Amino acid sequence: MQPWVVSTSLIFIYLIATIVIGILANRKGTSSMEDFFLYGRQAGIIVLYLTVVATFHSAFAFLGSGGFFFTHGIGFWMAGTWTVLVGAITYTLGTRIWALGKKFGYITPADLIADFYESEAVRVIVALVSVIFTLIYIQVQAQGLGYILSVATGDRISFELASLILLVVAAAYLMVGGLRAVYWTDVIQGIWMYIAVWAGSLLLTYKLFGGPIELWKRLMAERPDLLSLPGPEGFFTPGMWVGMTIALSFGIIFQPHLMIRYFTAASGRTLKVLGATTPIYLMTLFIPAAFVGLGGALILPELASPDRVFPELLFQYAPPWLTGLILAGATAAAMSTLDSILHSNMTVLTRDVYQRYIAKGRSQGHYLAFGRCVVVVLLGVGWLLTVVNVDFLVDLVALSGAGALQLMPAVLGVCYPGRRLNTATGVVAGILAGLVTLYLTRVQCPQPLGIHEALWSLAANFAVTIIVSRFTRPPSEATVERIHGEVERFVYGR
Amino acid sequence: MTPPRSHYLPRTRRGRIATIAFLAAMALAQPPIVHGLMNRTEPLILGTPFLFAYLLGVYCLMIAVLVWALRKGV
Repeated sequence: MQPWVVSTSLIFIYLIATIVIGILANRKGTSSMEDFFLYGRQAGIIVLYLTVVATFHSAFAFLGSGGFFFTHGIGFWMAGTWTVLVGAITYTLGTRIWALGKKFGYITPADLIADFYESEAVRVIVALVSVIFTLIYIQVQAQGLGYILSVATGDRISFELASLILLVVAAAYLMVGGLRAVYWTDVIQGIWMYIAVWAGSLLLTYKLFGGPIELWKRLMAERPDLLSLPGPEGFFTPGMWVGMTIALSFGIIFQPHLMIRYFTAASGRTLKVLGATTPIYLMTLFIPAAFVGLGGALILPELASPDRVFPELLFQYAPPWLTGLILAGATAAAMSTLDSILHSNMTVLTRDVYQRYIAKGRSQGHYLAFGRCVVVVLLGVGWLLTVVNVDFLVDLVALSGAGALQLMPAVLGVCYPGRRLNTATGVVAGILAGLVTLYLTRVQCPQPLGIHEALWSLAANFAVTIIVSRFTRPPSEATVERIHGEVERFVYGR
Repeated sequence: MTPPRSHYLPRTRRGRIATIAFLAAMALAQPPIVHGLMNRTEPLILGTPFLFAYLLGVYCLMIAVLVWALRKGV
């Protein structure tokens, strides 16, 4: 049997399995909004663990990270820092978000933030930031998926059709089973992608070099520039290192598809266990990526597109059945992020926009039906963004990494009582200042002084938030007492 | 209304230990340490370049701090 037939068959078997899981999730769930949008706030440690790690690691973990090692060398091993930092953020901040969500019934990040700042303007701007910057990720994941399937089939299925097929499958099981389907499929996807990356990487490393130690020896002899900082192209400067650590930890955590996961935990203890242990999975996934990327730089030095290094090596050096299994794992990595983004955008648009401003007081079934319609629209928009080349998209993708990061001062003001309060006007002004600075330091004048745009934009955001908050009206005493009092009780038990 | 005490600084002894230990470990994986003193391939550690093995060790230390905090109920 030809390799592409094996690869394609395995991917389609995997896709059928996800649809079946969606149907099973539908039978298990209820028709309430909390169940459909938040898994009934009862996610235990195993399900939550695997959905968080599968969502955190996207197509980038399979394709992009290998490409980064290929191009910039060992510096990308800094990825371990931000993955461990994500655990610490979950441990300290995630538990507070969970406690407030459970107490006051929050479903979206905008619920949490707007309730404290008593402002509809804050709700709207948080919802907009949430949707705009993650909508771009739909396109990024769909591109990855289209690429994987078209490569697996030897270009017998075009990139456009491949991305559409995979978008439709993700949307289908989401519409059928809600967040429960997303979580259940993420369990499989999380396990599959981890095994696939390690298995593929070790197989290639032993087959091509005789093992990791031999790989390191050859690198030291032939490409020592890949084994030191700032790398062959001078990318990993100190400013970029620190900036990427902040942008890819806090910046990803504040994206709605990850923040919403905090609301779904069964208990605060569940989130603490999650925070202490998810870094093990998240960090160790970059070890095989290093073997693939650095090994690829020795074997395929002329490769035009470094992101292709893993599939190219597989097709040339791995047996077809294993290549198929691994590419199905790559599909899982991208779909587990894609379905979560579709879900979070559906939730934000239904809860923060439709239910709040357009159709108040309707039945839960009505809102669920609307949410499913939103998924169809998102699917169409995401696919169009994937296949139509629009110049401004390049800028938006570049901005998206640090976009959600701009919610940081607002969220910290809610979850961390301090001596000074942020105000609604301060938070809105800070977010706008952060976004403008982000645009200037990413697009107009990229990374001034070699410092990552995340640091520039965050500094501007915090400065404006603090200054404007000193001269504008704070939230009412009753609200501050209610919310900060709850945080105090949750953390210190009094 | 009595303003609540700040939550930015840990109040308990174990909280302070966990916070300082985590931040100190994280500083070991940041510039200028990684771009200066640790930016080398030798000595090899179990056949692995020094910088790679060093960072792996620091990451394990950071995770160990989180697990310690969990076990101690911080």
